[in-house]
Amino acid sequence: MSVPSFTQSATFSKLWPTTSRHIIDVLDRGKYSHGHKVVELEEALAAYTGAEYVVGVNSGTDALVLLLRACGLRPGDEVVVPAFSFIASASAVVLAGGRPVFADIEPDGYGMDPASLAAVTTERTRFVLPAHLFCQPADMTGLGETARRLGLTVVEDSAEAIGMRYGGTHAGLLGKGGVLSFFPTKTLGALGDAGAVLTDDPGVAETVAALRHHGRFGPTAGHFPAINTTTGAVGVNSKMDDLQAAVLLAKLGRLDADIERRAVLAHRYTELLAGVPGVRKLPSVLPRRADVRGVFYVYALEVERRDQLAAHLAARGVGAETYYPTPLHLQPCFADLGHRPGDFPHAEAACRHALALPLYPDLHEDDVAQVCREIRDFSRSAEAA
Amino acid sequence: MKIAFFPPDLFEDDREVLLDVVREVALDPEQRFILGRRTERFETVIRDAVGAADAIACSSGTSALTLVLRAMGVGPGDEVVVPAYCCAPLAAAPVLLGATPVFADVDPATMVVDPVEVEKAVTARTKVVMPAHVFSVMADMPALRAIAADAGARLLEDSAVAQGGVLGGRAAGTWGDAGVYSFVQVKTFGMPGEGGMVVTGDPELGRVVRMLRNHGQDGRTRFLHHRIGVNSRFDEIMAAFQLRRLPGLPARLERRARIGEYYTERFTGLPGVVPPPPGRDGRCFYVYSLLAEHRDALHDHLAIRGIGSHVYYRSPLPHQAAFRTTGREWPAAERACARQLAIPIHPHLTDTQVEHIADEVCRFART
Repeated sequence: MSVPSFTQSATFSKLWPTTSRHIIDVLDRGKYSHGHKVVELEEALAAYTGAEYVVGVNSGTDALVLLLRACGLRPGDEVVVPAFSFIASASAVVLAGGRPVFADIEPDGYGMDPASLAAVTTERTRFVLPAHLFCQPADMTGLGETARRLGLTVVEDSAEAIGMRYGGTHAGLLGKGGVLSFFPTKTLGALGDAGAVLTDDPGVAETVAALRHHGRFGPTAGHFPAINTTTGAVGVNSKMDDLQAAVLLAKLGRLDADIERRAVLAHRYTELLAGVPGVRKLPSVLPRRADVRGVFYVYALEVERRDQLAAHLAARGVGAETYYPTPLHLQPCFADLGHRPGDFPHAEAACRHALALPLYPDLHEDDVAQVCREIRDFSRSAEAA
Repeated sequence: MKIAFFPPDLFEDDREVLLDVVREVALDPEQRFILGRRTERFETVIRDAVGAADAIACSSGTSALTLVLRAMGVGPGDEVVVPAYCCAPLAAAPVLLGATPVFADVDPATMVVDPVEVEKAVTARTKVVMPAHVFSVMADMPALRAIAADAGARLLEDSAVAQGGVLGGRAAGTWGDAGVYSFVQVKTFGMPGEGGMVVTGDPELGRVVRMLRNHGQDGRTRFLHHRIGVNSRFDEIMAAFQLRRLPGLPARLERRARIGEYYTERFTGLPGVVPPPPGRDGRCFYVYSLLAEHRDALHDHLAIRGIGSHVYYRSPLPHQAAFRTTGREWPAAERACARQLAIPIHPHLTDTQVEHIADEVCRFART
């Protein structure tokens, strides 16, 4: 029996009556992007997250770029980003016209380390972009204090963080704004690319809304004739598909149940993997100076001989993912920044050891048990060798 | 009789197709929703249909333009010659890369960029010449090709509106180093979502665009990023939908062309109304635009009779806040802004509706 790294077929089948109702509504209205279903999703997400404004866009990456631009990033401004994250945390800065400056992460929570933030900040630094990875938000108290002291604006890469809260506030709303990604494997996943910007700032929301639709200000969602609105800002086309909004609205109704399910499965992994030789670290939501609500988007553990274990699992039909094999400061696209191995040791260690196990609401407890058996088998054979 | 300019029932005959493809992709054991085998198939089919070396599906026509400019290495200090009268992405794409759009005025009758004006706009800093096909008319690609070649600049054909158009036996999109298509719902090969495509005869350009559309990855090693790329991908649901609708495209294009021909026949010689040129060569019947002396009055005349019409661009690009360029005028672009009016041409229109629209335009012009 194989355990894929991701599937949502069972959830999809269960939700099809609701999903198809939303799709038929889209067909009846006849506007397939930037239409009423997108507006309905934006409103539902605002209610769920508590954000004053939610702006639907084409991807989490676009959301980051447009958010940084709307927050007033100027050409050449430095933005501190974590050295361990998905590429978009750093490439979005370049795409928005800024310069990424890397900071190391905390070894356990994988969020940006406030001490490293302070160390890498220069007089050209204007923003800090912490990312909330895997199962919990970054240390937003420590990062917030450091940012305030250094005069930096906080913008959050909360692409993975739907449902996560810090001190009662939803991720993405602890600074000037944040983003959501609805990439299919996300906690709230579409059946294609989609994303959103979250913010409580009306000016930021208005600018992002214009930038996503060719720089056209005013009420354009749901309106065809908006094409003859003149261009007030240099925008892009990052409109969200109503079809994806339909899928997301259907799933949003069971998001908290899905989050609960993920926690149960994660807990089971931890029970079964505790004490297995070769397992260096199991994920847990760290205590902070404020209440934290973690969400197990990814169950990432750290192991010895990670690549061999991944190959072992793959050979037995278990889809494990390596998030992320190369730290951002050592990516070829940032070679001109001149970083070397050793610059950010915690990020580099995470890249060597972290492995994400299958985790999604369609997963069964039996699947979890099987994955853990395979890991124990690997561990035994490694010990014997 | 009420006739909308933007047809609300574009996919009325394809409702089941859409529901089907959503289910098919969602339940596919492969569980791959973006840039999967359907997208690859769609790219191959379009590539072969137009005889390109590569076709790369991406998130929109606008994004396609930006991807090509990025792949061509356009950046600060570079100039891109673009039409003064067209949609915003033509000017926004170079600006977003730090380059300068240099505006060229258009032909007063056809509203596509005037090669003479393009030639005047070329300087030593010109990196790319980027003409656009507008409404139902393709730009003068042979002349523009010669100008770009003389200038040592690359030629990017904004064929976003022109899929299906042919000029001198050559498909729209294949006249330059690269061309683009847009599949947003209203286009000739529109679909129920956002999407676009780059077509190119230059395999190296295609390779770079492929990398740039998915975060600079090479398609082999995940999470290894060779270049700063973007997220401009294509959804499997849309690829499946397009593959199913492709066989019906020639008939839809033919219906558009016939409506256009009928209109032009009826409007030729009308006082105060100039139709686009007759014929099929160098034409793409995406939008049928008239030039009318009393444009707003014609719009109102039609509106009162239940006929939707649309003014596309109310001011030339260099007059818009985002691209403000002073120091000269764009008289043909300004005239187009004051006189252009588009009337319905979508393939669902019945003959009776088409005749009614033509009758009302003629009635207005003759009174």
